[in-house]
Amino acid sequence: MKLDTSGLESTAPLFGTRSELLDGFSATPSFELPNTINFDGFQKEAIQMVKPAKGTTTLAFIFKEGVMVAADSRASMGGYISSQSVKKIIEINPYMLGTMAGGAADCQFWHRNLGIKCRLHELANKRRISVTGASKLLANILYSYRGMGLSVGTMIAGWDETGPGLYYVDSEGGRLKGTRFSVGSGSPYAYGVLDNGYRYDMSIEEAAELKLEGLSIMQHLRDGAMQHSVMEPVVELLAGWKKLSGDDVGELHYHYYPVTPSTVEQEMIEVAGT
Amino acid sequence: MSRRYDSRTTIFSPEGRLYQVEYAMEAIGNAGTAIGILSKDGVVLVGEKKVTSKLLQTSTSTEKMYKIDDHVSCAVAGIMSDANILINTARVQAQRYTFAYQEPMPVEQLVQSLCDTKQGYTQFGGLRPFGVSFLFAGWDKNFGFQLYMSDPSGNYGGWKAAAIGANNQAAQSMLKQDYKDDISREEAVELALKVLSKTMDSTSLTSDKLELAEVFLLPSGNVKYQVCSPESLSKQLVKLGMTQPAAEAS
Amino acid sequence: MECVFGLVGNGFSIVVADTSAVHSILVHKSNEDKIMVLDSHKLIAASGEPGDRVQFTEYIQKNVALYQFRNGIPLTTAAAANFTRGELATALRKNPYSVNILLAGYDKETGPSLYYVDYIATLHKVDKGAFGYGSYFSLSMMDRHYHSGMSVEEAIDLVDKCILEIRSRLVVAPPNFVIKIVDKDGAREYAWRESVKDGVATLA
Repeated sequence: MKLDTSGLESTAPLFGTRSELLDGFSATPSFELPNTINFDGFQKEAIQMVKPAKGTTTLAFIFKEGVMVAADSRASMGGYISSQSVKKIIEINPYMLGTMAGGAADCQFWHRNLGIKCRLHELANKRRISVTGASKLLANILYSYRGMGLSVGTMIAGWDETGPGLYYVDSEGGRLKGTRFSVGSGSPYAYGVLDNGYRYDMSIEEAAELKLEGLSIMQHLRDGAMQHSVMEPVVELLAGWKKLSGDDVGELHYHYYPVTPSTVEQEMIEVAGT
Repeated sequence: MSRRYDSRTTIFSPEGRLYQVEYAMEAIGNAGTAIGILSKDGVVLVGEKKVTSKLLQTSTSTEKMYKIDDHVSCAVAGIMSDANILINTARVQAQRYTFAYQEPMPVEQLVQSLCDTKQGYTQFGGLRPFGVSFLFAGWDKNFGFQLYMSDPSGNYGGWKAAAIGANNQAAQSMLKQDYKDDISREEAVELALKVLSKTMDSTSLTSDKLELAEVFLLPSGNVKYQVCSPESLSKQLVKLGMTQPAAEAS
Repeated sequence: MECVFGLVGNGFSIVVADTSAVHSILVHKSNEDKIMVLDSHKLIAASGEPGDRVQFTEYIQKNVALYQFRNGIPLTTAAAANFTRGELATALRKNPYSVNILLAGYDKETGPSLYYVDYIATLHKVDKGAFGYGSYFSLSMMDRHYHSGMSVEEAIDLVDKCILEIRSRLVVAPPNFVIKIVDKDGAREYAWRESVKDGVATLA
């Protein structure tokens, strides 16, 4: 199996002669083999390293005004939180977004690859690719690498000639069309809120609200340490996507579930006369 | 002028001709004639045998008629060694189809696959084309009885009556004149023998210079390919009054 | 869990499939159509790994269409089933597809038919067949109530019996089912049996 980097190859060299300076840009990307004796073991380890979608929650849904996409922003390497401000919503083009769960590198690489393919489609056909087409493109690539250790769980969301579109695509080759999806370890919680509050004819404000609530409740329930990762809900409209907010989940949670002062059962009485 | 363009199959002459292919067709013009006629209840193939000798063991094999599959057979005109290769590929194709779909290969598809092979040799490097024309007779459930004719270029077509080999043009025009749409199999045999007797170079029409094969349906619905034995062919020729004295008269 | 079954009636074939897309404990979707219209008079219902299911059935569909374009005649249901079996068999020792298939079709010459093809490339021509966890219930139900020459009403009644049995006896029963039919007039969707509504079904 050869890595499909056809989208990356330039058809004609930009300059007449190759120079050392340009080689790095114009050459087709290739991979170095890991410097190890136990290659199988390395692969296994590598898979284990990227596989668990620890602490990730991404969600997206379509409604009459467009598409809503949201994701938390924490990156982890095993037990270590390597970043609290990662962009898990990938901008494929101004009318299409992808979400990231699973292996960050795999997601980023293949979304970027998809972006190129979508742009080429646009140039060849003089119209933007449909969400259906783009998601199928990605699913077919992932399917061809099935069983080889890729770890991608993504939603392709966007606005095309048919209106809002949403697909779930994963590295097992699965591809589902739907109105609302959530991917990552927090997805069951997100579904709980999403299913409860979802209506197709929501307004943008309602939709944003629903999404924030979805992310905050599930993060509260699941993982206390998660509180301060920032969410990025993005709304997608006829005019292209725009970022709505980057809220601190900790704050959000108290917004939706304010602390109510409980009645004090027994007041501590200051010992008088000391 | 043409000398520069006829040594390779793969290049056109300035007049837009492929000389090697045309030469191959020329070669077939010298081969024994074969005639095929489509009738309501079957397909008839007759061929003129060129190799005749008292020493030849004739009963074991046919010279011009070959069975491709249970439901398709063919008559050949041209270089027999070339034909053997193509017949083999056709048989393999037919079996391969049955392997994939568990049903007999439709006749036209079989013809097409063979003609694709032929075509390949008019385009790809350094080889000569097959010097063979075929008449295919067969039956399938979609289109019933069918007759196809193909030439070395890989062209093929479905025909009601067709002739290949020596004097095929004369035979073809006679067939055109005498063919009727609702012809029966017996009438088709008669017509084929009549046309062949007139176009053959040799003056006498005898069973040892002829081959007759028929494709028809048995009452059970199965397709039957039957080659006529020399004895019954002789009888038939006498019955039709086509043996030596009669042939002279006509 | 997955439930796919089908039966042959008088002049028609019916196939039924659940419509759940499941990942471990999560139901991602409950209106996923797992029965593909292969050509004008063929239906292919598939169960198995989602990626393989879609890729393989699409592959078969495209090859059946290619055959028709090339040769101007459609494949018979028997030929399509044998072709499908062959593709599974050749893939089996290389990179096997994990899909089980029920192929229903209607031919002018042979009438309605149903073929059972499992992921290890077994082919059977059957009157009734089933795959998945639901097969235990639907098969026993069909063994009891199926008879040859059923009318559409009788067959749908039996299908509903099967669905009811699956819903009431199977721990991991899927909520929704789609029923498709093929007869002399072609292959088409017959009905949905939904106990859970998903947004999409009422939408587009």
